[in-house]
Amino acid sequence: MPTLTYLQAISSALRDELRADSRVLLMGEDIGVFGGAFKVTDGFVDEFGTDRVMDTPLAESGIIGTAIGAAVVGMRPVCEMQFSDFISCGFDQLVNVAGKMHYRQGLAVPLVVRLPSGGGFSGGPFHSQNPEAWFMHSPGIKVVAPSTAEDAKGLLHAAIHDPNPVCYMEHKHLYRRVKDDVPSGVYETPFTARVAQPGSDLVVIAYGAMVPVALEAVSDGLDGASVEVLDLRSLVPLDEEAILDSVERCSKVVIVDEANATCAAGAQVAALIAEKGFESLDGPVVRVATPDVPIPFSPPLEQAVLPGVDRVREACRELLAY
Amino acid sequence: MSSSPTDVLVDVTMPQMGVSVAEGTVVGWRVEPGDRIEAEATIAEISTDKIDTEVPSPASGVVAEILVPIGETVDVGTVLARIAVGDGSGASQPQPLDGDTAGAPTTETKSSSPSPAPAHAVRNGDRRYSPVVQRIAAEHGIDLAQVPGTGRGGRVRKQDVLAFVETEEPPLHIESPYRPEPVAPAAAVAPGPVVDGGGLSRMRRQIGEHMKRSLDTAATCTTWIEVDMARVQSARARLGVTALAFVSRACIDAIREHPALNAWLEGDRYTRHTDVNLGIAVSLGDDGLIVPVIPRAHELSVEGLAARIKDIAGRARSRQLTPDDVQGGTFTITNPGQYGSIMATPIINQPQVAILDFEAVIKRPVVVTDADGNDSIAIRPMTILGLSWDHRALDGALSAQFLATVKRNLESVS
Amino acid sequence: MATHMAEPAAGGVETTVDHLTVEDRVWLLRAMLLMRGLEERAMSLYRQGRVPGSFYDGYGQEAVSAGAAFAMGPEDRLCILHRDLAAHLIRGVTPTRILSQYMGRAAGITRGRDGNVHFGDRKLGCVGMVSMLPDMMLVATGMAMAFKLRGEKRCAMTWFGDGSTSRGDFHEAMNWAGVQKLPVIFVLENNQYAYSTPVDKQFAVDPVERAAAYGFVGVTVDGNDAEAMFEAARAARERALAGEGPTLIEAVTMRMHGHAAHDDMKYVPKEQVEEWRKRDPIERQEKRLRELGIDIDGLRASIKAEIDAAAEEALAGPMPDPATAVDGVFCEGEAEPLGDGQAPWSGFASDGGAV
Repeated sequence: MPTLTYLQAISSALRDELRADSRVLLMGEDIGVFGGAFKVTDGFVDEFGTDRVMDTPLAESGIIGTAIGAAVVGMRPVCEMQFSDFISCGFDQLVNVAGKMHYRQGLAVPLVVRLPSGGGFSGGPFHSQNPEAWFMHSPGIKVVAPSTAEDAKGLLHAAIHDPNPVCYMEHKHLYRRVKDDVPSGVYETPFTARVAQPGSDLVVIAYGAMVPVALEAVSDGLDGASVEVLDLRSLVPLDEEAILDSVERCSKVVIVDEANATCAAGAQVAALIAEKGFESLDGPVVRVATPDVPIPFSPPLEQAVLPGVDRVREACRELLAY
Repeated sequence: MSSSPTDVLVDVTMPQMGVSVAEGTVVGWRVEPGDRIEAEATIAEISTDKIDTEVPSPASGVVAEILVPIGETVDVGTVLARIAVGDGSGASQPQPLDGDTAGAPTTETKSSSPSPAPAHAVRNGDRRYSPVVQRIAAEHGIDLAQVPGTGRGGRVRKQDVLAFVETEEPPLHIESPYRPEPVAPAAAVAPGPVVDGGGLSRMRRQIGEHMKRSLDTAATCTTWIEVDMARVQSARARLGVTALAFVSRACIDAIREHPALNAWLEGDRYTRHTDVNLGIAVSLGDDGLIVPVIPRAHELSVEGLAARIKDIAGRARSRQLTPDDVQGGTFTITNPGQYGSIMATPIINQPQVAILDFEAVIKRPVVVTDADGNDSIAIRPMTILGLSWDHRALDGALSAQFLATVKRNLESVS
Repeated sequence: MATHMAEPAAGGVETTVDHLTVEDRVWLLRAMLLMRGLEERAMSLYRQGRVPGSFYDGYGQEAVSAGAAFAMGPEDRLCILHRDLAAHLIRGVTPTRILSQYMGRAAGITRGRDGNVHFGDRKLGCVGMVSMLPDMMLVATGMAMAFKLRGEKRCAMTWFGDGSTSRGDFHEAMNWAGVQKLPVIFVLENNQYAYSTPVDKQFAVDPVERAAAYGFVGVTVDGNDAEAMFEAARAARERALAGEGPTLIEAVTMRMHGHAAHDDMKYVPKEQVEEWRKRDPIERQEKRLRELGIDIDGLRASIKAEIDAAAEEALAGPMPDPATAVDGVFCEGEAEPLGDGQAPWSGFASDGGAV
């Protein structure tokens, strides 16, 4: 089993899909000849040609809208937004045309939008966002967010096979920093949560780049406490069963969001726990999230707002002692 | 003109001319009651905020009644007039918009899955208990007031009540057969017989006589020793057994080294026993106490002892002991520690020669000496074991040695 | 510069068109009559309180959808807008289902999930519109993109109004289609008003000129001449299938009713309305066909009967079951692409949908 980085795993999934299914089409800005802003599709044009690895005009609404058209006549487009932030330019097509089409017209739109997300590298307000909550809030769109290389490949395969629009949140910070053993060939990771580390005294619920942060925060043994880390992996559908199971066993919960706190994915998880997990709770549901600010550019400012290992560790420590 | 009784009446209603329009005004009627009208022909004119328009008749028939006069403003949906559609009129009878049509299934909206009834956060003085703590306590019949809290501000954490459950006792107290039943005491204790002119039950009097006789017979002395119970505590948590079981085993092992403690003295007749038939004093509440016996207790491991103790204590309280159960004891342990008392002067259970009293385990600051001989203060869970012994059969040194062995056994539990 | 009284350019031809048989020309009239009749009936139902929400029609511009849709083959795909009911009829959607749709009944094309003309029968190759205009231009562009990538001889058609040419998606779609030379036909229904906004507040150049700016052909057509519309669409399709790229057809017409049933269009000068009434597309087609001896009255009668029957059937149908309101947000099985629609033009009778 080869060891791949998170980014290589994404490339691997795209390559395997292009080989296996002639309906698959990649669309995005600078993904063809240039190989992509992050080199995800580096070399693809040589194998698959410029038709299937399409360099589009600079038009996010155009990319999503034409992808919808291609999807309803039998293709499987995988669109790339160069940065997830730019999805706001294609928001209308994604939410109003793609998201609502099956409910209204019974017409499936099998479309994937890859969204390189997240901060931590002085990208500033327009290159660092985590916009998944906008799409969790829009009916008809699925949202997934891998944190490991293995899941990055498996979730992308599953997203491409899914007959619905899927937002695939790939975290830029994990591209080259996360490596694991990744099975070869086409396989699917289910749209469920995964226990990254089992425990019994407290559970940290996180997804994407916050999963490695959580694992590191609890790794030095918080005074001997046994802490579980739950990787959500799928935001729509949200794995209620797994969340409530962890809460029942651990009774104390810290939820981590890199996205801005208000109405982030973690807010929905917290509401779910308050409603359906109340009887298992031995303490308040604690959230660690980026405050409601645009992500700043200068490193000390950016580090001050993004949830880091220390903040997560401190929250766990306090809640354990409660 | 009235409609015939077989006629169906069709309503003409005020339409909604635009999503935000809520009302309209009738500005003209093209018909009077009794007039014939065809479907789709204009029957009235209305005016709204957005537009003035005509209202077509929904059916062919005879105008039965006009309900809203010219100039009146009514809400959208208000019936303006009615048309009688008789049999054989041949007109279509359109169904009303609200869907009361044949074939429209009446369905109930799906009820959301019922959420569990939330536990009330109970306050006990300054203490609040979280839902999960409440639930665990209820499942195991635990009085949360007994549970010490290690959380912030002394709150009872889930771990605290679980530890209490696992050991069936407070973490820093010892399982005691004196512990009352979780249910209301009144239910567990059968009321004793009422004696004319007396206040004590028969059992109480019998116990009293036994105790008096013991004190009159034996030369009763009591010796005490302090024991560090830290290792017992952790072993206890690991095995899920009571500290009493460990104390029992420690006594049995000490009896091996000091067999004089396991004997009967009846008048002049002195008998040492090889079997250790261990008596455990069990409180019966108002009825007093009883001492059922675990025969051949030396054959039992700590876990085995714990199980037997639980069993006889339970049977004692539910009045299921047989006479055999209370015969033949060679050594007795009494363990009234859950109330926090630290020392006592127990009375020997005749015809035995000794009785061990095991009270509360309390965290104390103690001096500990390390391998290099350096002293420091540490916090240890300490208990004071008391041995009442009969000076006719034993002496102070022997008793002290026995206690020292018990101490050594307990402090070296692995 | 577009004015209130925009005249159709010389693209409109009044006399016989080569590619249409007599049956074809009757078909065009039939589609327009059915559209108008259905919309009148639906308007009446709306005023009776039987159609919830709002009601839109294409009164006076029936030729724009009838003519253009008639040129589309069974494998072509359509994004139809709210004043283009004739396109749905040509593809094969029945009047009963259309009236059920307006009334929010279970038998409507969207089963009550979306209202008025926000529908598209996916089995007949039509994509239901959204309210954000002209989003569907990009969807049609994408369909055309897929056809080209797969080397298929098919095209996509989309309708949109003068107002929507001001939005970004218009430009993104035109640009994309031009850059990639896609087989898509953009039908701009210039009916002079976007709600109450006249065209001189909407664009500074006649939008047909923009086609050149994006690299392809733009033609202006008399939008009230069904046969001229057909010819322009047919020629555009021919160009598309030959790999010559998109066409922008500006259909010049007039919106003869308000923006919706609740709009009395007081902002439109009476003279403008009167002028356009003389150019009613149905009257023009009827005049042509009378000269060929077609029984117009008979046709009208049969259409009325068809509409009456459809209304009766639709009114008898149940409302949707509230318990199903949260179903169908996601597709659970396989994604089925759009199906083929009817294509009654005689030019498709021979195999392969030839030009």
